[in-house]
Amino acid sequence: MAVFMDLNVSFSPEKSRMKSLIEAAAHLGFSTVAINYVFEPTAKKKPEIPTPTPIRELIDHLPVVQGRSRPIRVLNRLTVVMSDSSHFAACMLHDVDIICISVTEKLPFFFKRAPVNGAVDRGVAFEVSYSAAIRDSTRRRYTIANAVSLMESCKGKNVILSSAAEKPLELRGPYDITNLGLLFGLSEADAKEAVSSTCRSVVLHAESRKSASGIIYTMKSCSEPSSQQGAPAACSEDTPAAKRARPHLTCD
Amino acid sequence: MVRVKSRYLLCEVNVEDRSHLLLLDDRAVAVAVKATVARTHGDYGAALCSIGFSVKYLNAHTGIVFLRFPKRCYRILWSALPFITCIETRGQKVPCFLNCLHVGGTIRTCQKFLIRYNTQQLHRMLPKCKNEEEKRQVQKSILNCTITRGNRDESEDDSESEEDEEE
Repeated sequence: MAVFMDLNVSFSPEKSRMKSLIEAAAHLGFSTVAINYVFEPTAKKKPEIPTPTPIRELIDHLPVVQGRSRPIRVLNRLTVVMSDSSHFAACMLHDVDIICISVTEKLPFFFKRAPVNGAVDRGVAFEVSYSAAIRDSTRRRYTIANAVSLMESCKGKNVILSSAAEKPLELRGPYDITNLGLLFGLSEADAKEAVSSTCRSVVLHAESRKSASGIIYTMKSCSEPSSQQGAPAACSEDTPAAKRARPHLTCD
Repeated sequence: MVRVKSRYLLCEVNVEDRSHLLLLDDRAVAVAVKATVARTHGDYGAALCSIGFSVKYLNAHTGIVFLRFPKRCYRILWSALPFITCIETRGQKVPCFLNCLHVGGTIRTCQKFLIRYNTQQLHRMLPKCKNEEEKRQVQKSILNCTITRGNRDESEDDSESEEDEEE
């Protein structure tokens, strides 16, 4: 079975809602979810970047994913809203993993081949979120229109489909999302990839940003001091001397 | 061959409040699916739906439905299913969504999948059992999950009470 991920689950301060969202995702078969914190740089002087709540505070016991034996993995993600959409070319140079296609407005000229291909070469994925289509009928048209024009210019590669779900009833199962991908103009294989392997490569891309081109990474030392002596190979100190860390190959 | 082929979609209805599940019946689900297909694909979808579509089986306790679609157009009609947001039954609107678990060519293959799926669900429930009596009942249900002719519910009847307590 492939690994299915839903990389966009809206954060809400109510814990019960987050808990039911994560449980619903585990029940549907998603092995990873990413909680999305939106950050809008408005004209304030000191914009505050929302800090992610640690997962342990949100939910005590991670539910086991349907069909697999491991508990669900919860990641955090930050979305920055770009103020000026004509700076799309500048987006290509930024150090991002995912570019979200907004579905609430019409983007007329947006998808030129050159920046799209540049993004694909760098490993950046384009994201289409489908919960707006479920909520509203006019939004549905915009979603499909934008998604179809995106598929035309990127040929269906490096696309992920995700829900921007606020309530657990807005999530959909992975095979249903694959079928939605067909509506958006993807081929069958591309649509299945959009939910599984492209998501996985995005997560790996994000992990590799913390390291030196994916070869070496540092980890916070996680165990107590007594066990650290006994198992020095398990974790390494979070020191600037990254040479101490174990070389770990994460090629993608 | 002149056999009429169809696709059976095994779906699970997810609701927030499990007591609402018991209100469902197959007419309500059929009406909801037809309305959603008409909304999404217009007159073409409504026409496709009127020929071969039917709800073959609905289990109100676990929320499993079997939907039958003709083989040539099942993908299009399936793509309208994620847009179902609520089902209206007996004057009440039940907010829910349909999650498709399996597509099969015959009811029998869907039934085999359903038995395996229910066994998995029982396994998932096992660590959540609160006392020994429930554990024994669940284990007995797991061992009894077999497919026999004409009986498709025998694994589910034992586990309904536990399923209600789990959520």
